[in-house]
Amino acid sequence: MVSIRLDKVTKRFGKVVAVNNVNLEIEDGKLYVLLGPSGGGKTTTLYLIAGIYKPTSGRIYFNEKDVTDLTPAERNVGLVFQNYALYPHMKVYDNIAFPLRLRKEPKSKIDSKVHEVAKFLRIENLLDRYPHQLSGGQQQRVALARALVKEPSVLLLDEPLSNLDALLRVYIRAELKRMQQDLGITSVYVTHDQSEALAIADKIVVINKGIIQQEGTPEQIYENPRNVFVATFIGNPPMNIVKGAVLEDGTIETTGSRLTPPPAVLEKIKRLKLKNILMAFRPENAVVSEHPMEGRFSPMGDLFEVEPLGRDAVVTVTVGEFVIKVVMPTKEAMQLRIGSKVYVNIDPNTIKYFDPNTELNLEYIEA
Amino acid sequence: MMPETTDVETINRRRMNLALGIVVLIASIPILVTYFILMASSFANQMITGSMVGQLTFTLRNWILFFEGKLTVASAAVYSAWDILRYILNTFIVAFGVMLVTTALATMAGYACSRMKFKGRKFLIQLLILLHAFPGVSLIIAVYALYIFSKEPIPSQWWTLYAFIYVIVARAALEIPMDIWIMKGFFDKVPWEVEWSALIDGASRIKVWKDIILPLVKPGIAAVAIFSFIAGWGALIYVLVFLPPTEKTLATYIAGLLAGGSLEVVHLPVVAAAGTLYLLPTLVFFSFVRRYMLQTSLSGIKG
Ligand SMILES: Nc1ncnc2c1ncn2[C@@H]1O[C@H](COP(=O)(O)OP(=O)(O)OP(=O)(O)O)[C@@H](O)[C@H]1O
Ligand SMILES: [Mg+2]
Repeated sequence: MVSIRLDKVTKRFGKVVAVNNVNLEIEDGKLYVLLGPSGGGKTTTLYLIAGIYKPTSGRIYFNEKDVTDLTPAERNVGLVFQNYALYPHMKVYDNIAFPLRLRKEPKSKIDSKVHEVAKFLRIENLLDRYPHQLSGGQQQRVALARALVKEPSVLLLDEPLSNLDALLRVYIRAELKRMQQDLGITSVYVTHDQSEALAIADKIVVINKGIIQQEGTPEQIYENPRNVFVATFIGNPPMNIVKGAVLEDGTIETTGSRLTPPPAVLEKIKRLKLKNILMAFRPENAVVSEHPMEGRFSPMGDLFEVEPLGRDAVVTVTVGEFVIKVVMPTKEAMQLRIGSKVYVNIDPNTIKYFDPNTELNLEYIEA
Repeated sequence: MMPETTDVETINRRRMNLALGIVVLIASIPILVTYFILMASSFANQMITGSMVGQLTFTLRNWILFFEGKLTVASAAVYSAWDILRYILNTFIVAFGVMLVTTALATMAGYACSRMKFKGRKFLIQLLILLHAFPGVSLIIAVYALYIFSKEPIPSQWWTLYAFIYVIVARAALEIPMDIWIMKGFFDKVPWEVEWSALIDGASRIKVWKDIILPLVKPGIAAVAIFSFIAGWGALIYVLVFLPPTEKTLATYIAGLLAGGSLEVVHLPVVAAAGTLYLLPTLVFFSFVRRYMLQTSLSGIKG
């Protein structure tokens, strides 16, 4: 039963600020996913929680207990490293038994615990092998077994599935999620794969350049991204951005097409005195056609590419400086001619509005 | 994996091994022949040369003469049997001493160079290579001056002991730079994560070092151990200069036999016996550590 709290935590490596003034609360028993691009500071955050790195400033709490100056062992965390970090000179059995032996537990107890966790992860038949005799997926389970066998208060996973093939990844992540729920263990899971994050997270924490961009449930993150970065990072393909000019009468105009934003948005535009605005929409909430459609906001652009992916196709259109990807039925998409002028007909109700200066979603700006 | 699997790597390796084996064999023929003549001669009534193969007989006499300290059948013993045993013991003392000092220091310093961040680390590592390139002989005057100077306050009955320690440390000092470099390479290959993982599992720093890191660099330690053992075993100049004339090692003993024209009076097969004995421990020691050197225990680590 452990909740974790990071209080204004910063970590510098020389001049690089890997984690920048992060405040984060991780609830007991929940699976939190740290999601972000390479170099975003995910691993660093994880290592700070584990106690491998000491924060340059800020404090870390487990259940209101300040653990900032405790060693990794004293924090009782289980950590699965990105490269698994199995002990190559030890058999699987000894790898898993290692943390228990350090606790000087009796031999019989160690033996039963090792077999119990091995059975749970279905690696009982591998106990006699050396790590280099295992496949990536098997190594991953051994690493997981070693982390779980000491019954840690917190389970930390650094891109544990990144070395597996796509099929196995989907399979094991479901297994991981079920295991985490069964054990009710507070977990932090690092990944740069947004679909993985959406699939397993109780809460997603999007982190980029060492700064938390948004924290929320997968639905919140997907439906209502807090800023342009999150909008263009989540989803496959992610959200599209188009730029519009705010006219005198409060309407928004892009390439001749006009849109009247909802009153709440309009009010914020006025208060912030915005001359331009960024609009974001999901690829599935628009249709590309040769003529503008009724009731839709329809910026005009050039058709760049059509990629059929079975039933649906990804249609790429360039509108001004922005590249837009739309997912629509392949049959309709194949009617379009590459290079011709087309309209991107966006469902106005699904559009999110962003301040071009701060790149913040207007909904997240206090009224 | 089954031996009959035909994956690409296996085929390549087999061919490579065969080709390499042949090349090494051809290149080694002169050395192998020399060693064979040396060893066989030590058990023969005379030195083996091509023309007199027919007149050879097997005998242990050379070895007996050698251990009696005699250099020819007729002569009186120049050295006592006791002397010879002491020389052998001295050789072992110097060889193991150099090995222990070198291996211990190179392992620790190699770890520091690989893992720790400190000022001037890069420069130090480059310096190691330069230091190794320094011929030991060119240093000997300074090392000798230091020896005389440092011996002064020590009571004279301890001088022999001090000379041994001094030889060992001085000879080890010549080996250490290169061996630090070798060990650093092995430590570099151990991922940080393996170390961290052990820390998280609750191991102390010492325990991590002893149970995780050292086993992973065993091949390096074995290599350094054998190199330094050989260096100590064959140490000639430093032993000649610093050990008192009564304390010889096999190397200086044989060198003494060969020097100063005495080669013409001694019975050569006796020298061959000395030479064979001189070679033997190196071979034994090598076959002992060989399996550690070839261990590829890091192969299980990715990333
Ligand atoms: N030990 C270190 N020394 C110096 N800089 C570091 C160190 N570790 C991380 N950094 C830097 O800190 C930043 C964040 O790194 P971090 O490893 O946390 O990223 P990440 O989000 O885990 O990325 P990835 O998805 O590639 O693993 C990067 O700019 C990285 O170069
Ligand atoms: Mg990382």
